[in-house]
Amino acid sequence: MKISTQKAGIILISPSVFLICALLVYPVLYGVWLSFFKKHSFFPEQKFTGLANYIYLMKDSEFWMSVWYGTVYSVSTIFLQIAIGIIAALILNEAFRGRNFVRGVVLFPYMIPTVVAIILWKWLLNNQFGLVNYLLMAVGIIEDPLSWMGKDHIMTSLIIISVWEFFPFVVLSVLARLQTIPPALYEAAKVDGAGALSRFIHVTLPQLRNVLFVVILLRSIWMFTKFDTVWLLTQGGGAEKYIRTLPVYAYMRTFMYYQAGLGSTLAVIMFGILVVSTAVYFKMFRREEEI
Amino acid sequence: MTPRNTFFSLRGQQIYWCAAILLFLTAFPFFWMISTSFKPLREIFVFPPYLFPKDFTLANFDRLFEQTRFLTYFRNSVFVSTSAVVLTMTIASAGAYSLTRFKFYGREKIASLILFTYMFAPIMIVIPFYVLIKKIGIANTHLALIMAYTAFCLPFSLWLLRAFFQSIPMALEEAALTDGAGRIRAVIYVIFPLALPGIIATGIFTFILAWNDYIFVRILITSDELKTLSVGIADLYNATVIDWGMIMSGGMLITIPVLVFFIFIQRYLIAGWGAGAIKG
Repeated sequence: MKISTQKAGIILISPSVFLICALLVYPVLYGVWLSFFKKHSFFPEQKFTGLANYIYLMKDSEFWMSVWYGTVYSVSTIFLQIAIGIIAALILNEAFRGRNFVRGVVLFPYMIPTVVAIILWKWLLNNQFGLVNYLLMAVGIIEDPLSWMGKDHIMTSLIIISVWEFFPFVVLSVLARLQTIPPALYEAAKVDGAGALSRFIHVTLPQLRNVLFVVILLRSIWMFTKFDTVWLLTQGGGAEKYIRTLPVYAYMRTFMYYQAGLGSTLAVIMFGILVVSTAVYFKMFRREEEI
Repeated sequence: MTPRNTFFSLRGQQIYWCAAILLFLTAFPFFWMISTSFKPLREIFVFPPYLFPKDFTLANFDRLFEQTRFLTYFRNSVFVSTSAVVLTMTIASAGAYSLTRFKFYGREKIASLILFTYMFAPIMIVIPFYVLIKKIGIANTHLALIMAYTAFCLPFSLWLLRAFFQSIPMALEEAALTDGAGRIRAVIYVIFPLALPGIIATGIFTFILAWNDYIFVRILITSDELKTLSVGIADLYNATVIDWGMIMSGGMLITIPVLVFFIFIQRYLIAGWGAGAIKG
């Protein structure tokens, strides 16, 4: 039996296309549909309310707070991840004994389950018995133990943990690119008398432009929609209110107040913000030669 | 090759110091977890803390196995993650093979659809996904989780495997075909062995993603005996007195499988292949 290649190709790709459409694309569209309903999370009843959910949120101060916290969280973590990630990648691109070992260990925080990152740091930052408070007091930076999970410092703790957990992604991408920069470029710059800093600005950075374009895009999408790290830090208790970003707010509306309609509306707004910012980002920074 | 920086030059020393700081910042929290999980209770809460346990003990692990359902969670995690890997790899290998070896209408459109869905984050799907799963009536089953992970890992798996299949020369297959082998035989004996490293590495990415997931389990699973490790460990906090020794030993045990698999894929990662596969 012979089947035409056109048919065989379509048969082989169809399970993938079907699953992606049924389990990713369809839920997103269904979410848009749900955002126009008042819908309980558990019971089947639903009532069409038009734009009521959107109007409600525009007047909802909790919503605006979550947009603000989400922005503070994503902007600061992205900036720190990129800066630390580039520095770490530059160090790991140097030749030294034990380099492969250090490269492996540095990637590790990114590979572990988020829940492990959270328990590690909650223990380190514990206000009574935590090592961080002990060390800061031993060195004399602080006199009394800091309440890292209290409302004043919870955002700082969250940012530290997130940067620690996610900067290896930047290291990974930048390091891969650094390895492909031809050494001749540096030799030429050296002959021209460029110092280390000038070589970094005029040789390394332009070479990294394309990879940074993609890395910043992906990191922004993932930090802006980050749920588990933020949620697990407080699990709805304690100073949760002070790190309630948009994804956490959407989760709480759906699974604690049982308002699936409103929760979907928040997810749709999140999606909208992402699409618009991505479009602007592409318009501002994209060059022809990029993907 | 750039010459290796020795410890005796000034530049070499600077690099060693920087690398040491980097190593400390990333590795120390893990060391502290391991150290804590082998300490008896009185040493965990001692101030100032000891770096290493003085009385090495396994009591924390005993409590973890006796007082919690850790082993059940562990079994569930292994079952769900492995099933997701098998399903994803089967579907994605067929899909990637089709995308690289056949020409058909809409092929490029499918490729861009895949890239677009790769950007989706769990929180954007999970709410409608939950409502739909409840409608079908498979909420609170492992099947729902396996479907969620398969859907979630398909886009990057297809993308990575497509790149991998593209690097296998067409000529090899054509040679096998002219030698009289059927296409299926050509795939099994020529393409599959060459593609295997890529399939294994992509499978490991899928495994780590499913193993590490928290949100889908939290939302789709309500029965305690069906929970997987992430949620099981996170729920240990709900106790009135937090048992840090037990939590640290649990954290250590769920990290070990990831560590083992990570060692396999490390060389791919450092060469820059598959860097975007683990979304986080």
